[in-house]
Amino acid sequence: MKKETGNKIRLGLFVIGGALIFLVGIYFIGQKRLLFSSTIKVKTIYHDVNGLQAGNNVRFSGIDVGTVDDITIISDTAVRVTLAIDRSVQKFIKKDAKASIGSEGLMGDKIVNISAGTDGGPEIENGDMVMAMEGSTIDEIMKSVKITADNAAHITADLADVVGTIKTGRGTIGKLLMDTVFADNLDATMVNVKQASGGLKENMEAAKHNFLLRGYFKKKEREAEKKEKEQEKEEKKAEKDSSTK
Amino acid sequence: MTADKATAHHTADSSQEKDISKPTGVKALLIEVAGMTHFSGRFFKEAFLPPYELNEFLKQSYLIGNKSLPLVGITAFIMGLVFTMQSQPTLAKFGATSWLPAMVSVAMIREISPVITALICAGKVGSGIGAELASMRVTEQIDAMEVAGNRPFKYIVVSKIAATIFMVPLLVIFADGIALIGSYLGVNLSGHTAFNVFFGHVFNKLDFIDVFPAFVKTFFFGFAIGMISCYKGYNSNEGTEGVGRAANSAVVIASLAIFIIDMIAVQVANLFN
Repeated sequence: MKKETGNKIRLGLFVIGGALIFLVGIYFIGQKRLLFSSTIKVKTIYHDVNGLQAGNNVRFSGIDVGTVDDITIISDTAVRVTLAIDRSVQKFIKKDAKASIGSEGLMGDKIVNISAGTDGGPEIENGDMVMAMEGSTIDEIMKSVKITADNAAHITADLADVVGTIKTGRGTIGKLLMDTVFADNLDATMVNVKQASGGLKENMEAAKHNFLLRGYFKKKEREAEKKEKEQEKEEKKAEKDSSTK
Repeated sequence: MTADKATAHHTADSSQEKDISKPTGVKALLIEVAGMTHFSGRFFKEAFLPPYELNEFLKQSYLIGNKSLPLVGITAFIMGLVFTMQSQPTLAKFGATSWLPAMVSVAMIREISPVITALICAGKVGSGIGAELASMRVTEQIDAMEVAGNRPFKYIVVSKIAATIFMVPLLVIFADGIALIGSYLGVNLSGHTAFNVFFGHVFNKLDFIDVFPAFVKTFFFGFAIGMISCYKGYNSNEGTEGVGRAANSAVVIASLAIFIIDMIAVQVANLFN
């Protein structure tokens, strides 16, 4: 009899233990779904929810504050998303807050991110509409990447054309770079220019000694000397000023 | 159902010399199914009608529940630990080791711990019940009780099946908890993870849709184990060798029934998903 009572007590402990584990598990799962805390419902309308599902997390400043409660199609271009948000964060979310759909990592679940709104504005209330901010989806990003890539393809094609033209020696730059006859001519021209400039120097010397132009050159020399003297004076003055200071 | 058929076939084969009228093959299978259905019907009828054998039910619950807990606990712990360690390298390849707690907990709670626990109970409890009832039948204790007006079906069968119905789910809950602790240790073998970080991940990913279907199906597992092993033991009529055969077929058919119920359960659960 005594043994039977002991067994019953052990059975009781076993049952209570199992029930406790079960209840704790249910409580923690429910807590994550905000079953046991007071929530407010906020609505927002999107064109495209990108695979968002009821039960996905809602984040505010990167913290999980609620879940997606319900998603319903209300017209051919609009989907209404109802968010259940913990009442304790209500005071931080303003009426002009914006809700955007993001994802946890590149492959992860979708989440709704809520921005705070203007500081000092009226806080959000139960049943309010929140402005939706349609974020860029992978598709949109891929579209813009494609445009960039197309442009790059055009540019590189043009560049290849230009390089091809240059390589075949057509056009000014092409001739400059590729044409050997042109290079020889240019070389010969340069020699001529050198010779011509030597001749010009001699001519100038001769002109300086010519009595018709001598006056002009002398006047120029004097002006140059005058300028030099003035400069020297100014320098001395500046030295004096700096030493007195 | 093949095992069912095979056992029935085997039974029929060995007793052919004694009893030529014993049916074989499909016929035997159909008789077996009909017998089990009738047996289940009788169980439900007698279970709800007073008087209730509460003391016997509690005693059986203790024997089935408490006495199986160490075995179930050790198995669940090892399953949690090993499953985590086996999944870790694969997830690490994708850089998704942060998904390990979520993945292990969903796999454990939805599937692995209910099925493993039920199979262990089928082995430990099912063979015990099958052998016990068969030897009671062989030694004519059941007949003696009937003569004495003691309602053997109610006293022996109903209390045992009721005990398995309620104890298997409890054992599964313990197995879930212990498997998660094993998994937590498994995660910590390859790097330190805080307790609340691990369980935060676990409860973040688990949903009621994971827990409730898994919980409900364990009642069916318990019923299948109790009903099949009692049926096999209660209807054993072949002397002492029938005791071994009853214990053996109780385990085989109960294990098969667990997988069949599991398959049906996943279909039903997906309807609600």
